[in-house]
Amino acid sequence: MIRTPLRPLARILQARAKGENPDVIERENLRQRHEEMAVKSRQRAEGRLLVLGAFFLCAFFVIGGRMAMMATSEPAEPAVYTAGSMIANQRADITDRQGRILATNFETHSLYAQPPQMIDPIMVAEKLVEIFPDLDKGRLLKDFTGKRKFVWIKKKISPEQKQAVHDIGDPGLLFGPREMRLYPNGRLAAHVLGGAGFGKEGVTAAEVIGVAGVEKQFDAYLRDPANGGTPLQLSLDLTVQAASEQVLYGGMKLMNAKGATSILMDVETGEVISVVSLPDFDPNNRPAPPVSGNDPSVSPLFNRAVQGVYELGSTFKIFTAAQAMELGIAGPNTVIDTRGPLRWGKFSIRDFRFYGNEMPVTKIIVKSSNIGTARLAQQIGVERQRAFLEELGMLEATPFEIVEAQGGKPLLPPNWSELSAMTISYGHGLSTTPMHLAAGYAAIANGGRYVKPTVIKQSGPQAGVRVMSEETAAASRMMLRKVVSEGTASFAEVPGYQVGGKTGTADKPRPQGGYYEDKVIATFASIFPANDPKYALIVTLDEPEISAHGEQRRTAGWTAAPVAAEMIQRVAPLLGLRPHVEPAQVTGITLTSN
Amino acid sequence: MSYLEYQAKSTPTGLRKVLHLNWPLTLLLATVACVGFMMLYSVAGGSFSPWMEPQLKRFLLGFGVMLIIAMVPIWFWRNVSAVGYIGSVALLLAVEFFGTVGMGAQRWIDLGFMRLQPSELMKVTLVMLLAAYYDWLPAERTSRPLWVILPVLLILFPTFLVLRQPDLGTSILLLAAGGGVMFLAGVHWAYFAAVISAAIGLVTAVFQSRGTDWQLIKDYQFRRIDTFIDPSQDPLGAGYHITQSKIALGSGGWNGRGFMQGTQSRLNFLPEKHTDFIFTTIAEEFGFIGGFTLLLIYMLIIIFCISTALATKDRFSSLVVLGIALSFFLYFAVNMSMVMGLAPVVGVPLPMVSYGGSVMLVLLAAFGIVQSAHIHRPRQATR
Repeated sequence: MIRTPLRPLARILQARAKGENPDVIERENLRQRHEEMAVKSRQRAEGRLLVLGAFFLCAFFVIGGRMAMMATSEPAEPAVYTAGSMIANQRADITDRQGRILATNFETHSLYAQPPQMIDPIMVAEKLVEIFPDLDKGRLLKDFTGKRKFVWIKKKISPEQKQAVHDIGDPGLLFGPREMRLYPNGRLAAHVLGGAGFGKEGVTAAEVIGVAGVEKQFDAYLRDPANGGTPLQLSLDLTVQAASEQVLYGGMKLMNAKGATSILMDVETGEVISVVSLPDFDPNNRPAPPVSGNDPSVSPLFNRAVQGVYELGSTFKIFTAAQAMELGIAGPNTVIDTRGPLRWGKFSIRDFRFYGNEMPVTKIIVKSSNIGTARLAQQIGVERQRAFLEELGMLEATPFEIVEAQGGKPLLPPNWSELSAMTISYGHGLSTTPMHLAAGYAAIANGGRYVKPTVIKQSGPQAGVRVMSEETAAASRMMLRKVVSEGTASFAEVPGYQVGGKTGTADKPRPQGGYYEDKVIATFASIFPANDPKYALIVTLDEPEISAHGEQRRTAGWTAAPVAAEMIQRVAPLLGLRPHVEPAQVTGITLTSN
Repeated sequence: MSYLEYQAKSTPTGLRKVLHLNWPLTLLLATVACVGFMMLYSVAGGSFSPWMEPQLKRFLLGFGVMLIIAMVPIWFWRNVSAVGYIGSVALLLAVEFFGTVGMGAQRWIDLGFMRLQPSELMKVTLVMLLAAYYDWLPAERTSRPLWVILPVLLILFPTFLVLRQPDLGTSILLLAAGGGVMFLAGVHWAYFAAVISAAIGLVTAVFQSRGTDWQLIKDYQFRRIDTFIDPSQDPLGAGYHITQSKIALGSGGWNGRGFMQGTQSRLNFLPEKHTDFIFTTIAEEFGFIGGFTLLLIYMLIIIFCISTALATKDRFSSLVVLGIALSFFLYFAVNMSMVMGLAPVVGVPLPMVSYGGSVMLVLLAAFGIVQSAHIHRPRQATR
């Protein structure tokens, strides 16, 4: 800022020379400066006031404009309609991995009565019973003629029923808008979806809350308005799920089983493509929960895939073999003593059949020798076995994202003794769910990484925790392939898909202790295609029994394996896998060169 | 120009002051209050109780207070503005203190005959103090950093106290009114630019961080902000009021449904129908014409205040009048925007119309100061 000096020297000197008082000059300059300042500040104040005025004017036009807009927007009586449509679609949809709807919302009405406004209660009660035969006329009459001012009649009614009630024409009968959850595919994936019911209920709206499955697990997400109705996308594939259910249902009937479950899992991503538990239910109309005291596994609500904790038998042997190879205790061709029975205290371990006094590890798996596996377990030891199974997630409930999965906690031996280690090595003494087994087989199939089984669509492969080396996994896969091509699971062979897998038949425990002689859990755990596995498939049948070749047969090789083969045959094309023809073994021709 | 230069003879004395009131302003205020009485009568279903009668009494009381304040020379109000500010802050602190003893979020102090909200009083005393401050401060120091920080602290301290009550609406109004007075006083625009750009920068940073590794606030906090900004995402919860008031405005149309014919408010769709959301009743019963007329009356009040401010010559008078006008403007602009879904719902009443004693009394007292400035403005010598 340039300031004019208050006492310019030249003028002061001049004034002094003339004999005038130089202070006059200073006073004059000071006055001028103040005046300038006053003008400037007034100008500034006026500028500021102008800005404020402009702001006032803008706000005035915005508010006035908005008022005009709103006055014209909805001409008349929009109240009811607008209120109703604002309530709609509060809960996000659930879709399969392709975006096909698995659960959505559906507008319906509830029916209630205000008896004081009713003209002819007797007639109304009669007509209502005609429309809804399940209503009790006496009770309705009592409600309508008593002191009650408000009576719920029906929570959900169809449009036809609504029209019929409307036609009664009584002013005391009223409808409340309702939004209900609809599962358009009925029973499909019922156990995963779970179901939904009403929470807080009012006349104009009711809260929809998830009661089971993903609906409950992701309840907060599905209801959160901030997600803007973005559907929850599951990893399930609707068509694969449908085919799996159909095959498993047929297989269950054919094998005379009382229940069955199957899990198909992508071994790289951990995504569960289909998961079935039979018997099932319709989530649109959930059956009542089982009465306490009864065996919960009898209820169709029971999800065998994640809640059914079973001893899964010989399917565990491959984990023992894999760990033995990983630790360097044995290679695929190391010969193990398999003379039986193997005695341990009072307990003795036997094989199903006698296969010879000694066998290489591969053959132990192929022939499913309990003794051979137990001997490997002896060398592995309790601690290492336990640590390995823990890494495979076998000691905790699975992280599978439905509420029921948290209840599927494995049953561990109370005291993990050396004997426990030996029985666990062939799948007895440790009870897990089929979902645990699927994750374990996925680790072998994907080259040794434990991936968490998930029901939510993933964008890519899971990194996973390495539990065994690539070589061990490859050798284990070779063994699994041999089980199918030359071992106990020959019925699981599907031409072109190179199934590898392991059977497991476990006697069912009696509730009072000990084991049933004639009731088994038959499991076939498989991976396919074995040379480059993409999927793991677990099929478990509860109490299967067929007669073949004049014998009652229950073993998994006869029951679960063929069901799994049928399922692979049906779903592999749906998964986009092309059949691969294995080159024929070049035998019978010997090249000789002389 | 200082007060000493006022010519004593040109300023009316005694009862003659009444004749020199800003009568158009007085009549406009009375008109708005009458609109309020009508609406309170209507929302009560055509009854003087429970709202219209107390409101009428408070208006008469407030009107008396306004006249008394108007009679007292404006320089007296300048001299006591610091005392007023300190008193208001003390009352706020008292609320803060007794609030914790009492029921948590208490905003009231019981005066026996009525309950006073110190945060409302704060709005006027803050404007008065800032006006007095800039009247005292030599003009060339207005934009010096030290002399800018002082009024900023004077604004922020009560704002913080009010925010703790918690009362977001009032604290925003305090902040805006205080900032407005500073702006009018001529504080260099660069300060405002800096504050505004810092605020914008902070908000963008927070929103940019969403979904990244360095996310600044939690997901649920984002969702809360989302529903705050756009309540239509949650029509039964936070957005309930907005949904209902939109329906009311829509069904009012151009001409409205007629006095006492509104259904939205009278059928209890709106819980705050007699306070913050009373504008919906006006719009429903008198339509666009009624609502717009009210807006015009409010604007006229502002215009008369500005003309009074221009007629005065000293800094205190013009700043205090403009500051009060700005506060008043913020009241109705924020309230109307809120009701019409232009702004998030923060509890701000419609001035002189909404049911509420403190706001009515404090606003009338503030207009008393405007009247005082009008009466005691400098005039051409009449000798």
